[in-house]
Amino acid sequence: MNRRFLSLSPVRVLVALAVLCLTPLYATVDDALSFAHECAVPYVKQGFTIREDAWGGDLGVKDQKAVTAQLFKGNEYWFCMATDVKGAVINVHIYDSQGRLAESEAWQKGRFAAAKVVPRATGTYYAIVTIEKSPQERTHWALVYGYR
Amino acid sequence: MRALLTGNGPSAKLIFPMLPRLITTALCGFAVANAVAEQPPATIDLSKFPAAAVEDVVVPVPSEIFIVLDKLGTPNWKGELRDHLGTNTGNRAQIALLLGTVIADGFIAVEAEDSEKVKQIGQEVLVLADGINVRKAVIARSKSITDKAEAKDWRAVRSELDGALQDVRGAMQELGDDELAQLVSLGGWIRGTQVLTSIVGQNYSPAGAELLNQPELLNYFARRIDEMRSRNLKKEELVVKVRKLLRDIKPIIGKDTITVENVQKVNKLTTDTVTAITSEDQ
Repeated sequence: MNRRFLSLSPVRVLVALAVLCLTPLYATVDDALSFAHECAVPYVKQGFTIREDAWGGDLGVKDQKAVTAQLFKGNEYWFCMATDVKGAVINVHIYDSQGRLAESEAWQKGRFAAAKVVPRATGTYYAIVTIEKSPQERTHWALVYGYR
Repeated sequence: MRALLTGNGPSAKLIFPMLPRLITTALCGFAVANAVAEQPPATIDLSKFPAAAVEDVVVPVPSEIFIVLDKLGTPNWKGELRDHLGTNTGNRAQIALLLGTVIADGFIAVEAEDSEKVKQIGQEVLVLADGINVRKAVIARSKSITDKAEAKDWRAVRSELDGALQDVRGAMQELGDDELAQLVSLGGWIRGTQVLTSIVGQNYSPAGAELLNQPELLNYFARRIDEMRSRNLKKEELVVKVRKLLRDIKPIIGKDTITVENVQKVNKLTTDTVTAITSEDQ
């Protein structure tokens, strides 16, 4: 065993404490992303390719975030959102660059929400994510999308 | 619940035989009411969103465009593949851009269903990643790209190429090279746009040309270069060229109708830039 690793200088103790404090934060964001991928599983089975890139963060209750996406006419997209916070209610809806509702389907079930869009035109779209209810002050969320 | 049941255990019977139907009706009613209550507004005022509440655009991968082209016609994907993928000059900005173009070629090879080319690209990604110290991050992806190309599982290869792009960018950001990481995305976008305009230029249709309508993406790339903290990187000859490319094509991309002449113009501009990225003269 590496002895240097075992020596407990005050700096090392502080670093270790900082790491311990930060670990749940990262775990929560990662968990939200895992749930978002879980939410997307049915669409993978339908032939959608889920992007590796994802959005995420934390929001207060009733807070919203607009996520910008470049979508192409001719494709279909599913946006899948999730949180790891039990008891939280979230939703996602898709709007075009003029602020018009563009989705053809949407559903919401507790910590999961999703919206489908078949773009009428190629261009910029916005996925508006909202934390409707949550037992926590800040709620971590993640959003992924798939195309076909 | 217990009060509504007689006796204990599995033999318990319901006192009210109508209860299941009543509960179902009540739940359905609640669900409908809930769905109505959650109807999103038909329009929203996007200008009311403060800048901090708007997330940057996610750069689409080339296959998002390529599969639309496949639906519009039968593009000659093999004809779009390059024999020579470019030379690593040792310049980090050039390697980052080149890596992006090579990954984009991976997506073209997937459309062409050319497993040998995909495997070659998987190896090239590894070599270029080594040049910017992120080889370790893509070893597993490179192997997976090769395995899935061998199995001709094209959807999985697309995902692995997307993953390779994210892994490279993530590893570069960890090294503090986030500005350089942006160049990988830019390289991929430039090569993807070159191929898009080549295919649409050969068999023009307004629907194909509309795929160039990407104003926000263009603004995003321009902002990333303009806000580069590293003056040296910003002054790199290739970065200056890429910035000029974005400026030149902005008036063309973003219009509702993009003419065949404009498609060809964008093709010429992106071809010149890809040539500069792959050239040994950097």
